[in-house]
Amino acid sequence: MRLVLDGFTKRFGDTTVIDALDLTVEDGEMIALLGPSGCGKSTTLFAIAGLHRVDGGRILFGERDVAQVSAQERNVGIVFQNYALYPHMTVAQNIAFPLRVRGASVADMDRKVREIAGLVQIGELLERKPAQLSGGQQQRVALARALVRKPDVLLLDEPLANLDAKLRMEMRSEIRRVQLETGITAILVTHDQVEAMSMCDRIALMKAGGIVQIAEPAEMYDNPADRYVAGFLGNPPIAFLDAVSDDILRLAGGAALGAAGTLQGLGPIALGVRPEHYGPGKGVPLDGTVIMLETHGREDLFEVELAGGGRLRAILPAGSGVRPGTTVDWGIDMTRVFAFSPEGRRL
Amino acid sequence: MQEQRAPNARHWPLIAGLVALSAPLVVMYLYQVIDTVTTTPPGSIIPDGVTLGHWRFLAGPLSEGGPSVWSLAGNTLVFATCTALVVTSVSVTAAYALSRLNMPGRGFFLGGLIVLHAFPTITLIVAVFLILQYMGLYDTLTGVILVKVAFELPFGIWIMKGFYDSVPWEIEMAGVTDGADRFTVWRLLVLPQVQPGLAALLIFSFLSGWSEFILPLVLAPANAPQVLATYLAGIIADDRFADFSLFKAVSIFYALPVLAIYMIFQKKLMNIYGGGTKG
Amino acid sequence: MRQDRIGFLFLTPALIAVVLFYLLPVVMTAVFAFTNMSTSTGIRGGDYMLTEGSLRDLREQGLNEATLSHLADAGYVVDAEGLAALAEAFGAPLAERVEAALGGQSFATGRDLERALRDLRAPEIRMTRDRKRAADLFQRSVLNIRHDTAAALAADLSAAGIPQSEQDPIVEVAYTGWSWTTRNFELLLSLPSTARYAINTLIYVALTLVIFNVGLGLFLAISTFYLPERTAATFRAIWFMPRILPPVLYVLMWKWLMWDNGFLASALAPFGVERINWMMHSEYHAWVAVILINGVVGASFGMIIFASAIKAIPQTMLLASEVDGATRWQQVRFIILPQMRWPILFVTAYQTLSLLASFEYILLSTGGGPGSATEVWAMAAFRTALNNYGGNLQYGMGATFALVLVIIGTALSLLYLRFFNFQALLAKPRIER
Repeated sequence: MRLVLDGFTKRFGDTTVIDALDLTVEDGEMIALLGPSGCGKSTTLFAIAGLHRVDGGRILFGERDVAQVSAQERNVGIVFQNYALYPHMTVAQNIAFPLRVRGASVADMDRKVREIAGLVQIGELLERKPAQLSGGQQQRVALARALVRKPDVLLLDEPLANLDAKLRMEMRSEIRRVQLETGITAILVTHDQVEAMSMCDRIALMKAGGIVQIAEPAEMYDNPADRYVAGFLGNPPIAFLDAVSDDILRLAGGAALGAAGTLQGLGPIALGVRPEHYGPGKGVPLDGTVIMLETHGREDLFEVELAGGGRLRAILPAGSGVRPGTTVDWGIDMTRVFAFSPEGRRL
Repeated sequence: MQEQRAPNARHWPLIAGLVALSAPLVVMYLYQVIDTVTTTPPGSIIPDGVTLGHWRFLAGPLSEGGPSVWSLAGNTLVFATCTALVVTSVSVTAAYALSRLNMPGRGFFLGGLIVLHAFPTITLIVAVFLILQYMGLYDTLTGVILVKVAFELPFGIWIMKGFYDSVPWEIEMAGVTDGADRFTVWRLLVLPQVQPGLAALLIFSFLSGWSEFILPLVLAPANAPQVLATYLAGIIADDRFADFSLFKAVSIFYALPVLAIYMIFQKKLMNIYGGGTKG
Repeated sequence: MRQDRIGFLFLTPALIAVVLFYLLPVVMTAVFAFTNMSTSTGIRGGDYMLTEGSLRDLREQGLNEATLSHLADAGYVVDAEGLAALAEAFGAPLAERVEAALGGQSFATGRDLERALRDLRAPEIRMTRDRKRAADLFQRSVLNIRHDTAAALAADLSAAGIPQSEQDPIVEVAYTGWSWTTRNFELLLSLPSTARYAINTLIYVALTLVIFNVGLGLFLAISTFYLPERTAATFRAIWFMPRILPPVLYVLMWKWLMWDNGFLASALAPFGVERINWMMHSEYHAWVAVILINGVVGASFGMIIFASAIKAIPQTMLLASEVDGATRWQQVRFIILPQMRWPILFVTAYQTLSLLASFEYILLSTGGGPGSATEVWAMAAFRTALNNYGGNLQYGMGATFALVLVIIGTALSLLYLRFFNFQALLAKPRIER
């Protein structure tokens, strides 16, 4: 089902935390609400679920405006960070609960529970209590409970945050698989860019109660709308250099970078350089000293202090032999550099 | 810090101090038990014989023409049980409303709860006495139970609110999005999570009712069924009748349920007495 | 159902209890304090009855002697009205005989009239009981007769021939019910015992609180904290007991310890110490007893609160101080005690309130004696209104005593609100609708 937020506004007391937010999630699409804590992503999620009052705008499930409809009548499924399984009920009772409160027959409940348990692969756990399950298994039960009544929208609130690194990888693909198999419209709230990029069709990057950019993950990475987006996506993160653009483009420290091109005459600007676009033999060489080396196994991460001021990060295959303290003359691939105005606008 | 299991030399001075402080209490506890099964010559502290005679009240009336101890215990049981049940059931709903439900005036009610929790209820006894008279509930067990319940309520609600507060919000949120209304969410999802609190409050208010002395004394002095506390206080205060061994035997009988409950639920009680803090 | 509606539904029983047994009593305490209610006035309205006593009062008020003697003398008159009633009850023949013999005569008392009737030797009233019934029909006095309303009394006064103009003061004096007055407050301010109760309360609260609730409570909590688990648990159990034992039993143990043939007296006798009642021998003995008995229970309370507060101090903080070479005493002084500030304040505030109002243990032990040496304010209220030896319970005066405590209690409990992080308490429910 297509989900549309149209001018959605939310206030807590006198403070407006979300002001006229617009968002469209296509039928069967999985979208991520990505942003730091306090950006309003969970608030948006709770408003879609009907747990929070909506102070303005419309929330459309298909053609139906549910902004004033109670949570009970909205038909959304939700999965929480702490799973929120009902501790006193068995797995089967947990999954059946949404059907039970709707007055489903026992046979019907039993059939649907088995069906969905098969889908999330917990068929053999149905008689256990949540406390007897591992984190990953609890997550699957929570997913099954959210899906069993065939909700219009599936909401995922930081679903992987409580899992260890290995399980997180596994559940990432599991959730995506189940979402694709059921074809359900889903919204994932997360502060983890890897989760957002790996699981979702599109990402809505949020900041201070508004959406900064909505795009497919690769598009957002390669073409960030502004400095905030560029800085948020990418690990290791992008590095920024102060630069001046008049006739030619040069760093604040003085080193020339080449023709200014479309940036000509803009004065002071900032350049964003991703680690993979800085390294030996990549465009204009700049003098610098390696000040830090992090070994990541397959590759090494370097931090380089440029002679004229400013720091860049570079990521190179392991075994380059470069040590901290070494002077290098690595260059920047100027075709892949992002330029930003001092206010952070993309130029 | 309690890392060691056995006391060492460093502990002995402290232990000696505590023993000295605790000695009078220990002496009282010991003799409270010893005196009920021994005879002691007047003016001595050493028993000279063993007897079960002090327990004869179990088979007959407590004092001449008085009620049997069993009927008193029965009345006390009814009083304490009713108090516990009503306090717990009223607290369990009110606390949920205050802890979790978004309703107008919630802040006001919460403030009121804290004020009442600290308020010395016994100062209201004169007015309550007269109000019960107007209501026609003076000198009835019902009246005493009602007042006792009301006086225990702020504490009960406070304790239960603490238990509700610790139930994760997500459980309720999940329940609501699963389609259950708040009443169903409370009954099926939240109530099972606060069962330890329910048990603790039941035990606590039962003990409180079982030990209550002033309220039955003032509000149901004559005709109503007497409870152990008031009857026992009555015969102890009666000068014609100073048989401490008998008093002690009866009080042991009276305190047995309290001691039993304490033994079984020690941990739970320590917590509620500490956390709840009702003077 | 909407959640606010469920909320009110869930709160209703508690609200009813609060209104009936908190709000109403608070208001009523203030109301009763302005009345002279007592056992003799009753608590509902009263009725109207003139007694010998009221005549005395009227004389003091300066009612004219004629009316007074009329009120006093108006006894039994054989008049037409009475004869009619007699005819109704015993038949016309008797009425005719009585009219012939005694018509128009007055008798000071019923007995005089009965004697006169006996002399008639009428068969209808041969029995003493019947004669008495007959005599009563002629009673025209207003003394010692209960009237439900002022109007009924006024009617009788008129019948007895008291002029309308003089009836008002008489009706007023005859009223037996309660009335509004500020006399309780005047009494409160003028009675020397008031100051005594106030001072007693102050001593009782301050000593119990400082020495036991806080002092001993802290000592028990800290010392058991440093002991091995089993030993600590034993001592805590010994000191927790007083708090859960029924007060009647707990005080009985103390009585046994301290009475004149009790443990203390017997144990000290071999050393040549005179056998005395250690609880009631003198004011000082009584005070020590009262404070010990309340104090041990209070120490119990303090110990529990402080022990859980000490438990909440991060273990690493104490370990770090040990690594730094702090002695146990320094650890207590510089780490534990500073963290006890809030618990101590809390215990002080909370216990001040409960001690101010509590008198249960005093009532059971010294009973406020000897004399009224250990009588505290709350107990004075209780005694005056609900439990005195004289039997005439002064509800109004007792309420006045209680009102002082209610006002202090309300003010302090409002102050107590500040001990809570009220904003956190008010955190909005996360399900808004």
